[in-house]
Amino acid sequence: MPAIDRRLIQNFEWPLLGLLLALALIGVMNLISAAPETGEWIPETAKRQFYLLALGLLALVVSLVPDYRSLERLAFPIYVLCVGLLIAVLIVGPVINGSQRWIVLGPLRLQPSELVKLGLVLLFARILARQETRAQLGLLELLRPAALFAVPAVLVLRQPDLGTAMLLALLAGTFLLVAGVRFSTLLWLGAAGIAGASGAWFFYLHDYQKERVLTFLSPERDPLGAAYHAIQSQIAVGSGGFFGKGFLRGPQSQLDFVPEQQTDFVFSVLAEEWGFVGAAFVMLLYLGLIARGLMIARVSKDLFGAYLALGVTAIFFWAASINIGMVLGVLPVVGVPLPLLSYGGSSLLTCLIGIGLLMNISMRRYIF
Amino acid sequence: MDLALLASTLVSRISGTRTPADGQIEQRVASAAALATAVWLVLLFRLFYLQVVQGEQYRISASRNSVRTHHVQATRGIIFDRNGEILVDSRPSFDVLVVPHETGDLSLTLERIGRLTGLEAADIRQRVGKPVGRARFQTLEAARDLGRNGQARVEARRWALPGVVTQVAPVRHYRGRSSAAHVLGRLGEISSSQLKSRRYQAYQAGDVIGTEGIERLLDAELRGRDGGTNLLVDAHGRELELLGEIEPLPGKNVVLTLDQRLQSVAEAALDETGKAGAVVALDPRNGEVLVLASRPAFDPDRFAVGIDREEWSVLRADPRTPLHNRALQGQYPPGSTYKVVTALAGLEEGVIDEDYRVHCAGSFRLGRRRYRCWKRGGHGEVDLHRALVESCDVFFYATGVEVGVDRLAHYARILGLGAPTGIELGPEAAGLVPTREWKERRFGERWQGGETVSVAIGQGFNLWTPIQLASVYSAIGSGGLRYRPFIVKQITDPRGQVLRETQPEVVGSLSVSAHALAQVRSGLHGVVHEPHGTGWVMRRLPGGVEAAGKTGTAQVVALAKDPPKDEEDIPEAQRDHAWFVTYVPAQDPRLLVAVLVEHGGHGASAAAPIAKRVAVEFLENEGELYARY
Repeated sequence: MPAIDRRLIQNFEWPLLGLLLALALIGVMNLISAAPETGEWIPETAKRQFYLLALGLLALVVSLVPDYRSLERLAFPIYVLCVGLLIAVLIVGPVINGSQRWIVLGPLRLQPSELVKLGLVLLFARILARQETRAQLGLLELLRPAALFAVPAVLVLRQPDLGTAMLLALLAGTFLLVAGVRFSTLLWLGAAGIAGASGAWFFYLHDYQKERVLTFLSPERDPLGAAYHAIQSQIAVGSGGFFGKGFLRGPQSQLDFVPEQQTDFVFSVLAEEWGFVGAAFVMLLYLGLIARGLMIARVSKDLFGAYLALGVTAIFFWAASINIGMVLGVLPVVGVPLPLLSYGGSSLLTCLIGIGLLMNISMRRYIF
Repeated sequence: MDLALLASTLVSRISGTRTPADGQIEQRVASAAALATAVWLVLLFRLFYLQVVQGEQYRISASRNSVRTHHVQATRGIIFDRNGEILVDSRPSFDVLVVPHETGDLSLTLERIGRLTGLEAADIRQRVGKPVGRARFQTLEAARDLGRNGQARVEARRWALPGVVTQVAPVRHYRGRSSAAHVLGRLGEISSSQLKSRRYQAYQAGDVIGTEGIERLLDAELRGRDGGTNLLVDAHGRELELLGEIEPLPGKNVVLTLDQRLQSVAEAALDETGKAGAVVALDPRNGEVLVLASRPAFDPDRFAVGIDREEWSVLRADPRTPLHNRALQGQYPPGSTYKVVTALAGLEEGVIDEDYRVHCAGSFRLGRRRYRCWKRGGHGEVDLHRALVESCDVFFYATGVEVGVDRLAHYARILGLGAPTGIELGPEAAGLVPTREWKERRFGERWQGGETVSVAIGQGFNLWTPIQLASVYSAIGSGGLRYRPFIVKQITDPRGQVLRETQPEVVGSLSVSAHALAQVRSGLHGVVHEPHGTGWVMRRLPGGVEAAGKTGTAQVVALAKDPPKDEEDIPEAQRDHAWFVTYVPAQDPRLLVAVLVEHGGHGASAAAPIAKRVAVEFLENEGELYARY
């Protein structure tokens, strides 16, 4: 890397940085509300999230400096590293609440299933950018990407983490559509998916696993579990009204009615305390972030940058819409954290690196 | 698509630039923007609906009401004996529960419950624990199995006890208390190591599961599925609305092959001896287990509500090991009951035939050692038949030495010894069939000739379990077919519809000649019905039925040079184990009984009378029994 190009400074991606900081700081503040009552003014989780944010901004800067094009060569090694971490989780990861998601290194807990989203996006962007024909893809061309998607997806399912596996599938699907696929191929894929799922249903899954899938599809089957979460979350959101109850005044959240309120249901705390005004504002910030990401994809000077920007934006879009949809009771309850707002270091780090990559692409759009 | 066009223009306005990238990319980015905008509009609309349109309603339910989650335990399936007699079912338990979120001051409430029920407040506090999060909205057990009056005292003051709820829940009830305890098993809370195992992957912490016996074996069938309710309650604990409910599903019922009447007779007879022991009775025609008794036993009812730590440690430390299932896990030298193995081996290997005779002068000489017969005066000239009838040791010493230990072991294996019988109710010990190779592997020592002498009459390294003894003689009695013993006859749904029925399974057939088998069987008949037969106790059965059988007396310590004349002079722990095995009738048997009395002394005097009582009970009720079933 030669001396920093003046144009990099001129083209610095201020809007995205502004959106990011606004959302992340709202997230830290919201965690003060979401923490269980302990008597401390600033709860431990909010503090940790704040420090992680500072640390994550460092990571963001690091991911800004090198030209993103150098990542194209590293895409496969990074993917392999992510898959290796996922395997390590299943071998050495401790079982917490019935699932293995973390690698514990002293005080640090790393959740590789978060990082693998970026790994997959990087690799797919590289593959698509190098696709020689611009014709629509057929079944054979899809075999390799399908296998590359399946490995981490199966590993994540083994943890088990249905939410992240679903997110990976949506990311792969996004690339599939963006890359352009023959209509007949789509039909074949659909048929294969149905055949695979019904095969698993009749020959592989245990009764209790089927029960979980059914509950996932219709939470009313489990009125004491999944449906309970949904009901409590809707009461919290709804009771917020137009202007909300005010900061630290949400009784639903303060009394721990809402389960997982620091992680998956963190948006319900926000909606309760800040009302429609606050929640809609945050949603618009998200929409702005997504629009900006898409714009960066559009203006990127090369295909790799365009696909990478699109993939990173897709991570934000799918995670945010699934999470908010779940909190508002229009989607079934699955564990997908809300980017930048949910408590969790790995998730936050992944988001910040993702934003860093977007800014990287944006700043280099005029440099050839 | 208008929206796509709009968003696309929007994006290009924001960027204010045009790039030569790729026409396709541009178009697809525009579609993506349209999709994102559309999804967000839907979500925003939903947010508006929840917060603004319905906001007032939600505010009311948020400020005044809470959701109370109540767990409803499923009723465990009933366990029947073969005649439809209930062995295990459920009785009502009157419980008091608290919902911490609704109680106000939780510890004060618990103290009041303690005063009303007469229980220690500390115990109640420990049971409830320190609930946080969702547990604060659940009904938590404060006191279990209070009896109707205890619960009524709490019920009468519920107006002053917000957040206190009473319930009647099923609790396991073992009708016969300790009867068949080892078969039925017991309940306990699932352990953390069990939670990690594959077998229990559908279970949760805090679940009560079968930890032994049928309760463990068929836990998945018996347990049913728990249910629960989510109730909307107001600040006064009034129930406003049922938000969700899962009906509990009762467990499936189990019908055992066990005959409770025979089982009680066997247990009473064992208990009267005041000694530990086991009784196994089978139907030799199919392997159905009619009696599986092990004494002393424990009372599984004590585990139903949760046994206290002290009682549990006393039970575990009891030197008489009441938790140990002697019928399946107790391993003992078979004593003279082993002689059928020596006899069959000798006949099949051509070492002896029906004319072969041995002179018994009270002892047998091998090298420089003398091995005594149990009858000091000797039996005189004996052939195989007399040797079995009078249980002459010298005859079998001579035969065994000729056959050799490895060939004896071969025939023991043919009879199914040295391996578990395969009864579904584990765990089961394998017993031991010694060979030269085994000894060298186990002790690194060569096999001694004298050891063969001991093995030939069932002493030495030989070890059998009571169920193995039953299985061996049931194969001999039924003419050669060996069935896998089984104890679960049927699994039915709660209405009695049969869901699964166990089919008898042949697991081996004695590959010996019919002639050899006939000679052994004739000897076993003689044991009961001929003069000097050691099994004379079994004579005069109801209906003139004739039995066949064999006694066994297993030495616990080597015979002293000069054994005391009077058995009472031997210390209890050094007295011999008494065996008796019989099948009834001698031709085409319908019942086989094997009895072991630990340190009981002689098989003929200690074990045979117990077998007889079981056989008499069986024959007297047989007609009725089969008519009913």
